Amino acid sequence: MNSNYMILLPVLLPVIAGLLIPVIKPLNNRNARNYYVIGIIALTGIFTVFVASLGDIHLSLWKMTDSLEIYFKVDGMGRLFAVLTAAMWLMSAIFSKEYMKHEHDESRYFAFFVSTLGVLVGLCFSGNLITMYVFYEFMTLLTLPLVLHELTKGSIAAGVKYLFYSMTGAFLGLGGFFFLSQYADTLTFTEGGVLNMTKVAGHEGLLLAVVFFMILGFGSKAGMLPLHGWLPTAHPVAPAPASAVLSGNITKMGVLAIIRVVYYIVGADFIRGTWVQYAWMGVALATVFMGSMLAYKEQILKKRLAYSTVSQVSYVLFGLSLLNVTGMTGALLHVVFHSVVKNALFLTAGAIIYKTGKTKVSELTGIGKEMPVMMWCFTLVSVTLVGIPPTSAFISKWYLGLGSLETGISVFSWLGPVVLLVSALLTAGYLITISIKGFFPGADYDYSSLTKQEPKAVMVVPVVILTVVAVVCGMFPNSLISFMSSLAGTIL
Amino acid sequence: MELVQNFPFFNIVMCLASGVIASILSGKNARRLSIGLVSVVGIMSTCVLGYVLKTGEFYTYMMGHHPAPWGNEIRVGVLEASMALFFCIIMLLCLLGGSKYIAQDIEESKLNLYFVMINLMLSSLLALVYTNDLFNAYVFVEINTIAACGLIMIRNNGKSILSATKYMIMSSLGSGMLLIGISMLYDLTGHLLMSNIKESVATIAANGEYTVPLTVVIGLMCVGLAIKSALFPFHSWLPDAYGNSTASSSAILSSLVSKAYIFLLIKIFYRVIGLHVMIDHKITNTLFAFAIVGMIMGSISAMKQHDVRRLIAYSSVAQIGYIYMGIGLGTTAGMVAAVFHIMSHSASKSMLFIAARGLSEVSGNSKDFKDLKGAGYRNKIAGIAFAVGAFSMVGIPLFAGFTSKVYFAEAAITASPKKMFIAMIALAISTILNAVYFIRATISIYTPRNEHFNDPNFKLAFTFRVALVLFIILNFFLGIGSYPIAQAIEKGLAMFS
Repeated sequence: MNSNYMILLPVLLPVIAGLLIPVIKPLNNRNARNYYVIGIIALTGIFTVFVASLGDIHLSLWKMTDSLEIYFKVDGMGRLFAVLTAAMWLMSAIFSKEYMKHEHDESRYFAFFVSTLGVLVGLCFSGNLITMYVFYEFMTLLTLPLVLHELTKGSIAAGVKYLFYSMTGAFLGLGGFFFLSQYADTLTFTEGGVLNMTKVAGHEGLLLAVVFFMILGFGSKAGMLPLHGWLPTAHPVAPAPASAVLSGNITKMGVLAIIRVVYYIVGADFIRGTWVQYAWMGVALATVFMGSMLAYKEQILKKRLAYSTVSQVSYVLFGLSLLNVTGMTGALLHVVFHSVVKNALFLTAGAIIYKTGKTKVSELTGIGKEMPVMMWCFTLVSVTLVGIPPTSAFISKWYLGLGSLETGISVFSWLGPVVLLVSALLTAGYLITISIKGFFPGADYDYSSLTKQEPKAVMVVPVVILTVVAVVCGMFPNSLISFMSSLAGTIL
Repeated sequence: MELVQNFPFFNIVMCLASGVIASILSGKNARRLSIGLVSVVGIMSTCVLGYVLKTGEFYTYMMGHHPAPWGNEIRVGVLEASMALFFCIIMLLCLLGGSKYIAQDIEESKLNLYFVMINLMLSSLLALVYTNDLFNAYVFVEINTIAACGLIMIRNNGKSILSATKYMIMSSLGSGMLLIGISMLYDLTGHLLMSNIKESVATIAANGEYTVPLTVVIGLMCVGLAIKSALFPFHSWLPDAYGNSTASSSAILSSLVSKAYIFLLIKIFYRVIGLHVMIDHKITNTLFAFAIVGMIMGSISAMKQHDVRRLIAYSSVAQIGYIYMGIGLGTTAGMVAAVFHIMSHSASKSMLFIAARGLSEVSGNSKDFKDLKGAGYRNKIAGIAFAVGAFSMVGIPLFAGFTSKVYFAEAAITASPKKMFIAMIALAISTILNAVYFIRATISIYTPRNEHFNDPNFKLAFTFRVALVLFIILNFFLGIGSYPIAQAIEKGLAMFS
């Protein structure tokens, strides 16, 4: 057994360094603080990659009670989510450096922004359900100040709403934990599940209900019906770089939690072919459709992106609900692609707000002429998200569709691809139209008042990097696909 | 017999004696005496706890070598000793943290009387914890009531006198019911010593005699103690009493007085009537039902409050509900959870009361949330302590409240299916409600407003700071290092029967 304290490094470093930001005097200086933040996040990223490269290590830290043990474990799934999170955080931090200049209370923002990263890495490397729950709660608590950042009445109301939904979701998860602990010998994450079938015998109905409620509960963070209501309210009120990671990464933690519960605790075999699987598929598809529709109708840009998140993360959940390797591969690919794309989209929205103060979609006529590089990136990642070949989301959606057909479940196997297609059309409708209006403002556009609004390089570079990643991943996806499918293969 | 074995008796007598001495001292010296006394009692209780843990069994201590039925006894086990120690710690921290406000709120000439009450209170708390004699318990319940009234009333303004009167009426009702219960039990069994009563009750119950009188006795005692510990719907006295007295009093009342009564009830469950008889008479189910309603109604009332003290007070109603829910489950696991929650709630609630007083001090002595906005920046340590207390109440992991929530849930899962579902749903609803009002309160004290309250000359009392830091450490200890405590509780409960 190779117990390794290195795991704590990328968890504790940002938490401690982050909470020190308001305390250390020299960090009141904006420049010093910016470099400190970026340095810490980069360092965390390096440590995360380092820990991920150490192989399957684990660490049993502390026993709270008989059944509650704080236990860390690095496995394939954790690696994927942790490295992704750290990378996105770095992009968002570089962007924040410039963006936060027009906000207030920067030091509070960065304190929570940095420490959230540590909690997320901890969540990814959690080795059992209770450790994950601990980090899950702290994730809610530490992101709450990001949502409340403006401290206006509206943002506080949004924060309380966020809290209400998250707490409800988390308690559904915790309640499930207590039930599961009765029917399993251990709650350490293990490929294929840990249920003790002799104990389960006779209680299948109860356990299925428990699993379903846990999926709904953790699905709250992922913006799945019926606990999705907070997402379109809370994401847009945060400062743009925070909305980017909230939408791009925090929602993925809900996905990770569901993966852990379904594939690592309960085991896919237990729910395959039961009402839980069908209900889950139904809820996920409904969310995909509803999210796209609402995004299509929404006129405020950041809100539109938030609704888009609701819809896109449910693509992932739909892929997970298929319970086969193809669907899982598609879901994991979509986790990566959506994370990259949504960060880029929100950062672009942030840049638009920062330079022009425009928040409504209708005001964005001609924006492509004002900030061409930004809008080119916006257009490219939009195309990617819609899933036009040969871009990245095409591949994930292809796998999702294949996986759906593979299940052979009567209605869902064809309904799934249909909904995915319709939703892709809607995605094109709500994203590409912005680009079209931005670049082709029409004959009545007043070109004389046109001013170049391209933001500074420090804002442009992260977006460009994300765009390049999104596009390149779509063109050369083989290594990524083989990694995901081998990962999916180990747990199914 | 070893010297250590005498300590519990010494402690009770010491407290009574120093109560007398404090009445002729000046306010300042009385304060010193009280704080010294609480510390000494705490140290001695630690010795007792160490001794009981070492020997691994309880002992009874006969007063004046008079055997029953004439003499009375105290009985010391792991649970009693740890409760005594815990009560001392909380009392010490409450006194330290609130000492500045005690001096502000109370007239100089009456200051020593406050500490007389404190000493009497401590003596009654210890006696309630240790006693093995039901009548003796009643006597100290009365002493406790009187001391508590004094603690509320001594602020000497209209509101506090009104609250004290309310408390007096409700509390006397409770004591009266307890007394009638004890008398009837004496009639049934012919004993006042707990161990003897238990034997008789077991025979009575086994023979199926006196079923109705026994139910009446159980009902009277449970309701009496429920009134005194503010179980919903008998909580009407609580928000006023906690809201209008000085901060230390509120903290002591909420974290020690009501808890001592609950502890006495648990003792009656195990040591007097016997758990099985209690369950057979359906009293656990009744308490469970009240507890569930209390958990939710307390939180709902708390949500409506604009006054920070009343918010904390109403949250107590909900938390008392949690404790009774643990008792009402009727299992050992439930009882362990209840006892653990007695501790974790005491630690968090007293911290909240003291911190709230510190926050209103920097907000023009107002308790309204409108004025408290931004107080977390003006009084940093109080703000942090309030946040820690709030998180603990909500049940965020690593804080004390989470651990007790875990114990409750684990106990509920192993109880009967009906109770399991009700308890889990109630826990869920109450957690979410707690989260909404406590975190809203925390957000509100961290919303930067009310700059006009900024006072550059403001200096925090040193004792206040120390007390709050210790409170925070205690909270984290209960949250993270709860394992040995829970084991001690289990051991103690095993010694009970």
